[in-house]
Amino acid sequence: MTQLFRNSLPAGASQPAPVLPVPLSFNRNWLQDLESKLDKGGPWGDWRLSQLAVQGEEAGLVSSFDELQCMKHLSGLSPLPHQIDTAHKVLFQMSGRAILADEVGLGKTIEAGLILKEYLVRGLVSKVLILVPASLVLQWVRELNAKFGISAIAQKKAYSWGNDIVVASLDTAKRDPHKEVLMNNEYDMLIIDEAHKLKNKKSTNYQFVQQLRKKYCLLLTATPVQNDLGELFNLITLLKPGQLGNQGDFATNFVVDKRQPKNEEQLRGELSKLMIRNRRGEGPVNFTKRKVRNIPLTLSEEEKRLYDGVTAFVKEQYQEAGGNLSSMLSLVTLQREVCSSRDAVFITLVNLIKKLPEDSPKRDRMMELLQTIRTVKANTKAEKTLSLIREMNEKVIVFTEYRATQEYLLQYFREGGLQCVTYSGGMNRGKKDWMMDLFRGRAQVMIATEAGGEGINLQFCHHMINFDLPWNPMRVEQRIGRVHRLGQQNDVIIYNLSTQGTIEEHILHLLHEKINMFEMVIGGLDVILEKFEKKESLEKSLYKIMLESQDEEQLRSGLNHIGESLSQLNTRIKKESETII
Amino acid sequence: MTLSPQQVRKQVMDYLEATDCSIIETSPLHVTVKLSPRADQMLTDRPYYWGFVERTGVEPETLSFTFVFNPEQYDSQAEAALVPRSSGLGNPGLMRADTGNGIASKPVEIEAATEPGGIISAGSVGSPAPPGNPQDSILSRYFGVVPALPRIGPGMIRREDVIYGSKRLRQIWEAAREEGKCLYLFEDPGSRQRTTLFSAAYEPWLGVYYKVEMSCDLKREELHFMGISLVTGVITYEFGSKLSPLKLTPRLPENVHVQPLEMSVTAGAEQLEASLTARLAELDYSWAEEARERLRLELAIIDVYYEELLKEPDEEKRKEIEEQYARRRQETSWQYEPQIAVSAVTYGLFHLRKT
Repeated sequence: MTQLFRNSLPAGASQPAPVLPVPLSFNRNWLQDLESKLDKGGPWGDWRLSQLAVQGEEAGLVSSFDELQCMKHLSGLSPLPHQIDTAHKVLFQMSGRAILADEVGLGKTIEAGLILKEYLVRGLVSKVLILVPASLVLQWVRELNAKFGISAIAQKKAYSWGNDIVVASLDTAKRDPHKEVLMNNEYDMLIIDEAHKLKNKKSTNYQFVQQLRKKYCLLLTATPVQNDLGELFNLITLLKPGQLGNQGDFATNFVVDKRQPKNEEQLRGELSKLMIRNRRGEGPVNFTKRKVRNIPLTLSEEEKRLYDGVTAFVKEQYQEAGGNLSSMLSLVTLQREVCSSRDAVFITLVNLIKKLPEDSPKRDRMMELLQTIRTVKANTKAEKTLSLIREMNEKVIVFTEYRATQEYLLQYFREGGLQCVTYSGGMNRGKKDWMMDLFRGRAQVMIATEAGGEGINLQFCHHMINFDLPWNPMRVEQRIGRVHRLGQQNDVIIYNLSTQGTIEEHILHLLHEKINMFEMVIGGLDVILEKFEKKESLEKSLYKIMLESQDEEQLRSGLNHIGESLSQLNTRIKKESETII
Repeated sequence: MTLSPQQVRKQVMDYLEATDCSIIETSPLHVTVKLSPRADQMLTDRPYYWGFVERTGVEPETLSFTFVFNPEQYDSQAEAALVPRSSGLGNPGLMRADTGNGIASKPVEIEAATEPGGIISAGSVGSPAPPGNPQDSILSRYFGVVPALPRIGPGMIRREDVIYGSKRLRQIWEAAREEGKCLYLFEDPGSRQRTTLFSAAYEPWLGVYYKVEMSCDLKREELHFMGISLVTGVITYEFGSKLSPLKLTPRLPENVHVQPLEMSVTAGAEQLEASLTARLAELDYSWAEEARERLRLELAIIDVYYEELLKEPDEEKRKEIEEQYARRRQETSWQYEPQIAVSAVTYGLFHLRKT
């Protein structure tokens, strides 16, 4: 705009601009906007809205370098003291690059969320990439949105990368064409969950993450050291190369043997600049106890007959198949189901029969079993469960592996006058949430087939009944983890129903006596299993033993053998993790 | 600084009133509002719908919301009001006495009537078990229909908790800034000026609300509302307090005249910047020194680490390492290098009576 000035101001009015010790930049977009509006004569802003915008700025002002701002922006979330401490430390002592290595269940995700929120509030971060295992993508998105009010989105299509805050699976991100896109971007913050997947520096995972351009970086892992100290060195190099010297220095200064550190004091000091590891039982985080009640039951005569019939049938078939395990899975299921309910056995049997050719000799054998099922009128376990629930008169969650058993129990409990809801993996998200609300509200019993997955947090309930046991200990742990978690106020009481003289009794013995899994610290189990299962999955080993043993004695010694190696692994791992970190 | 539910309510109400939304009902704890087209466009993120309205010229249907400012109290009032109702003792007088709030009893009824199955709302966290009617059996709920999607659309009133830190409040502030950042205002001289013989002299001021962001790996911010008279060149740092007692209007009042500018807007902006720079120069810069020290240390560690690696004889590998080295150095500077950025939140010309 051109204006005529009658007389210009004396030049002396503007003093020479002082030089600041820090580069200073003025954004002048506003001036262009103002001038173009002066030219056009508007449109002009509303004074009330303008004042409101100013109040908003004032309310969100970051007035201090060293004070957490994020807490006041969060509602409905009350982080634990150790989580806030962690966020504080990462921001003000570690400058935003850290390994968060809390033990499982202490809320690493919450810590990462707090840190991210703080940087977002401060305006230091706007472009964020979060790489997690594919199965956790949606959970992360949901948590960031619901708990932190952070508008994260899940990466689905190529254009998703354009968003400010993207959660994606590491496996997708590192592949072309995505890799190309990410390499050309700069990220204010990079968060990697399950970062122990980066332990090998020759892997594509590692090289990919190393090449990403990032300002702040958080690596989350519960097991920073799984096998040897070199893994830890690699993680640190990803974060801050040179912090522990180069590979050679590190080896001479800190490592005696793959697993054994030296100069521990010093190593610990160096590590504490980069890594935060909160442990259970330390500080204010106290988990309540787990109390285990094993309830031995004796099968009724009819039930026993069915059990024996199925067992004999399964073994015969196994021998006929020449010891081929993979073709036997449905039969193994049958064997396990017979410990749960006749309904479960019935459905599997009928399905098996349908698949057989009309003239198969097995058909008759199976029809016979069906006849035996007919004779079973009552379910000893269900009766016991009902009386247990009536006795405790509190909220309780009953876990079973089988949908048929779930249906049966629902029917049975309702007839018994209990208010029940069900929960299973096939339900959609909305229904799952709804069932949880109902359980929290007025139902006394939840009958669940699924413990894994996310989002069932049942801290308000502290009784659980294992109506039947999964043979995979991780699944047992997941079950317990639903109720025994942060926020649980009471000791958790776990009831295990086991029928005497069945395979179930042995499995329970193995899990309880040998790995002591019901009482063990959460988080140790996955490490033990990972090591054990290098050869073969535990579940499979159990199947083999069950199918191949000729008699009780053989079965017992086979299971004992597994038990021994598990408990040895357990003690060894415990010792290692204590010395290193 | 954080805001109480009352403060949040005040700000949201200011926005709704300024954008001509129609308030359906309100209490100290909540407001139920039908948005104006203007507010709807800013807040509901429905570009396709508004594109459709624009192209076809249909009468737009705006959305309605119930914004709850104090979810806890609101819910407990709702619950308290439900008990006498379901047991047949529903006495409005009694209920008012219970809640201590005459206006609140009405929204509670509406809430209970329209949302028996629990409210799914994007913004709300917590209080997941809304009160239902205890008479309906567990079975009917079990086999009932789950509202799988958030209720949205004309006729539906969606509940949303608006508290400090919620997305909605941030969005309202952003919308307010979008529509209120660039100003052209006059001091309202009051009715007496109209009848006065002499026209009053008005002095044009350039006012800029600066936001100063000082950042390294950490950050601190300051706000400065500065004004400069485009006639005399006088600068004030307290432009806000100069304006606050005045009533401002977008219209040129009668019987006043605006003094001609002695200085262009650009020149005024330069003066403001120079003056702000001088002010900033007086601050303590130890934070920047400390950040630079951290940066030096980090770079030294990196240098030592890569020095060893760069002895790599293989040409190809060494090139790769060099790249990595450069990248890491660059990342580190990006992380720690101190800097100050100044931007304007709001700005404009203010015509004030000459004193």
